[in-house]
Amino acid sequence: MLCRKEIEDAVETCLVKAGTTFRPDQLRAYRNAISAEKNENAKWVLERILENAKLAGKNTSPLCDDTGIPHVFINMGSSLSLPHDWLSAINDGIIRGLRIMPGRPMAVRGNPIERVEQSRGLYADPGKLSLAPVIVKPGKGGKLKITVLLLGGGPEIRAKTYRVFHQRSIDVVLGEAVRWASSEAKNLGCTPCVPAIGIGRTHVEASALMLEAMKEGSLSRQNRWEKKVTELINATKVGPLGLGGDTTALGTFMKIGPLRASGIRVVSMRPGCCFEPRKAAVVLG
Amino acid sequence: MITLQTPIDQREIEELKVGDQIEIEGTIYCGRDAVLPKLVRLIENHDLDSIGVNLEGAVIFHTAVSPAGIGPTSSNKVEIEGSIPALSKAGVKIHVGKGALSPKTVEELKRYHSVFAITPPVSALFSDKIVSQRIAAFREEGMEALYQIEVKGFPAIIAIAHGETIFASPRGG
Repeated sequence: MLCRKEIEDAVETCLVKAGTTFRPDQLRAYRNAISAEKNENAKWVLERILENAKLAGKNTSPLCDDTGIPHVFINMGSSLSLPHDWLSAINDGIIRGLRIMPGRPMAVRGNPIERVEQSRGLYADPGKLSLAPVIVKPGKGGKLKITVLLLGGGPEIRAKTYRVFHQRSIDVVLGEAVRWASSEAKNLGCTPCVPAIGIGRTHVEASALMLEAMKEGSLSRQNRWEKKVTELINATKVGPLGLGGDTTALGTFMKIGPLRASGIRVVSMRPGCCFEPRKAAVVLG
Repeated sequence: MITLQTPIDQREIEELKVGDQIEIEGTIYCGRDAVLPKLVRLIENHDLDSIGVNLEGAVIFHTAVSPAGIGPTSSNKVEIEGSIPALSKAGVKIHVGKGALSPKTVEELKRYHSVFAITPPVSALFSDKIVSQRIAAFREEGMEALYQIEVKGFPAIIAIAHGETIFASPRGG
């Protein structure tokens, strides 16, 4: 059986790694984009983002001051034995990671109405930033895979979950998601973006699939539809920070779930920022 | 690369063009959604002196300040973009943030001889540019208080100046 401390330590390590380092696929994508980019200001931005990632990794400091809202995705093997308080171990690992990284102290104080109105200020403790609802899916054998993702505020302003009349065409469905992403890219500001798209039966399911697309996606492994979405967004020439150029999106992550008989698909599109997806995973057991 | 020392002179602003890369030396005020409307209310009540802040020739960076560092937030949020005209009128010469601004704000910036600059959210790099920091006002807002930071070589690119904008179709159409 896994022990509580093992889970808590792993979650803490994942959170700090997610918020302070670029993965190899991100490093490769930025190097390729810098080589291909012809707009000098756009190239300058891409170089600064890469330089920032190297410095953040070296110093174990946040890539971005908006350290994001922690999300956890669990793949749980069927023959796994877990301590009864495994969920609280995950929560405690998140709190410890936020205090160590450090996360931005942006949790809002007060009762529900005071929180909406932000009338009682903020907690000074970054550990008060509570974990978003945890998603659990089946995994392999006796293994527990924990993925920690940090979702920044800019893309939340620009994300959209809505129904699309599919007309029995994937081009129609993805075309609508591309329109959403393209119209929001210059308002997002922190491009190049990495759109994540979930297609499901309900708004909750489509959003969960969008998060799963971020969890599973790699900028070095793109299917034909993901490449097509990226090409269409790059055709807008919004570019890094909106400065123009060829690099509006670095790649796209897409996940299609089970679907129902209907004239609509529910599509969730979140145009991740230039550091996203900030994620790290560990397999225990 | 154009180096600008705060407080920034009107003649320096007139020479800036969209796409210019700049480096700022000196004092930058940091504020965002929570504090900028409060600053505007002080200006409207002719009470800015009560917090000892002088905005003549000033730079305002749309950011929180916390142990996680600094980095631009979206300047097109209602409370931030809505503060730009009054702050420009009060003397702010450069607003630094990210994201497209509306045609109305482009006109207001021109009217008050102020510009909008953008900078990537490179918080690890920015930490090397900050010489010192202190809370200037509204401590109760935590990381969203009005901060005053001293910087060396703070990088940005001019995005909106004299009615011109890099965002060819502001608001993304």
